[in-house]
Amino acid sequence: MRSPFQSEQEAFRSVMLAMLALIAVVLAAVLGPTWLAPVVLAVVLGAVAVRVAQVRMRKLRGLELPVKMAPAHLGSASERRVLVVANDTLSEEALLSELERLASVPHTHVLLLVPALISPGARLTGAVDGLLDQARLRLKTALDRVGHDLVVGGGISDADPLEAVEDAFATFVPDEVIVSTGWERAANGLEPQLAGLVRERFAVPVRHLVFEPGSVTQEPDKDTEARYRHEFGEAAARKFGLKALAGAGILAAVLLSVVAVVQSSERDEARAASQATAAQTAGLPPIAKVVDLSVIPEYKRGPEGEKHDAFTTTDFTVRAGQPQQLRIDNTDTVPHSITAPEAGVKIVVIPGTHTYTLLVKQPGRFLWFCSFVCDEWAMQHPGYMSGYISAI
Amino acid sequence: MFSSSSAARAHLKPQPWRWSHPRVLVEHPDEATGLAIASGLRFAGYAVAICPGPAGHGRCPLAGPAGCAPAHDADLVVSSLGYERETAREVLRALRTHYPDTPLLVEAPSDMDTGMRELLDGAHQLPAPASTEQIVAAVRSLSGHTADEGPADA
Repeated sequence: MRSPFQSEQEAFRSVMLAMLALIAVVLAAVLGPTWLAPVVLAVVLGAVAVRVAQVRMRKLRGLELPVKMAPAHLGSASERRVLVVANDTLSEEALLSELERLASVPHTHVLLLVPALISPGARLTGAVDGLLDQARLRLKTALDRVGHDLVVGGGISDADPLEAVEDAFATFVPDEVIVSTGWERAANGLEPQLAGLVRERFAVPVRHLVFEPGSVTQEPDKDTEARYRHEFGEAAARKFGLKALAGAGILAAVLLSVVAVVQSSERDEARAASQATAAQTAGLPPIAKVVDLSVIPEYKRGPEGEKHDAFTTTDFTVRAGQPQQLRIDNTDTVPHSITAPEAGVKIVVIPGTHTYTLLVKQPGRFLWFCSFVCDEWAMQHPGYMSGYISAI
Repeated sequence: MFSSSSAARAHLKPQPWRWSHPRVLVEHPDEATGLAIASGLRFAGYAVAICPGPAGHGRCPLAGPAGCAPAHDADLVVSSLGYERETAREVLRALRTHYPDTPLLVEAPSDMDTGMRELLDGAHQLPAPASTEQIVAAVRSLSGHTADEGPADA
């Protein structure tokens, strides 16, 4: 498999950037609001897409400085190795004759490379076998004609034609490259500008044989090659522009969908919580707006038969967080209280009839008692000068 | 967005070497002559890279902060940029400064001024114009590599 990286440093840098991006997404998911993680992820993916498009465009349009490279010659000094790249023109008589001529030159090895020209769409759908078979058949027909032995070899490739040539430089190590195309690109043919791309990258002589159906081969002049490159660059720019727009559209659609799903989910949760609260509240017993009660000395008889001071109501039910009004008539001559430390309640009940507010913030059942010294027994027994507050 | 201006080119580093040692970077402004030298060197067992230098492509990255990958990893540099122009001298100056340990073979003009002589001090020189055979022989001599050893494809 072809490595997408040109060097170890580039690979290391890419790994570090990927880790940073992952950390950013995770931090956004953990610390930020729900919508932040998808947004950060979208930004990261967008940056990656832009970078990939830049690199691809640079490669296609030859924006790198035109440094050509080639490996050292392989074999003895008298040997010559020629790489012929062709696909749809393989049936041309002139090309086959040229192959025969090359094969007849002493110490010359020829490799016939047939890129299968598999489009991205075909790769996605897996429809590559037919194209490979077509390339294989063209190669076989050509080799049957020129004779395949130690001098002429052949191979097909499912890679991009330029990458296939690069692979051939690593394995066959050609001293010369011949690229055969039509004048214009056919439906299943090599791009005419392939010769220019190979010439830009490799430090070996590159010949471009161009065919017009049924005619003799020609080599285009410099102006024609330049036109091919220009047209290819423009076409590549248009294609990438459209792809970038489509990619941005898809990304935006995905992002909007994610945000919509997140918002919908949050709304659902809020609605569910609201409904749960409403149901909880609806299930509770009604509570009077104002509770009337009194504090009366020696009001209630205890189990030992003696009368004790007492509140006429000692158990209060309130809603947590909601104030409850108590109208208390203290018939005694001294103050009493409703004191519940755990509930944060201390109401001093002065003599006479007055209205007080009982507020308990958290749900629970809390013991209260009178904190003023009065009937000592009654202060310790619920139902007298003590009782419970139930907050629901 | 997809401009192919020379300004855009100047910001891009050339590609790194794809081939193994020994590697020779040939700086030559003429494509055909550069190819002929490359062919001679390839048959002598060297992997080659040909760079036209700064001619027509803005400032050479070698002279800028980005540096130049082919020059950085070359075992020897053959420089034949002419040096009438300051941009070519700038490349040579950068080579001497950034890669002082890399052997440098310069195809130098015969009528050099004082500045050029100082620039070439310590570099190996060939009088311009040098033939491909002369350049290949000089490279062999400098690198200690001979044709009998065959291609260095390790």
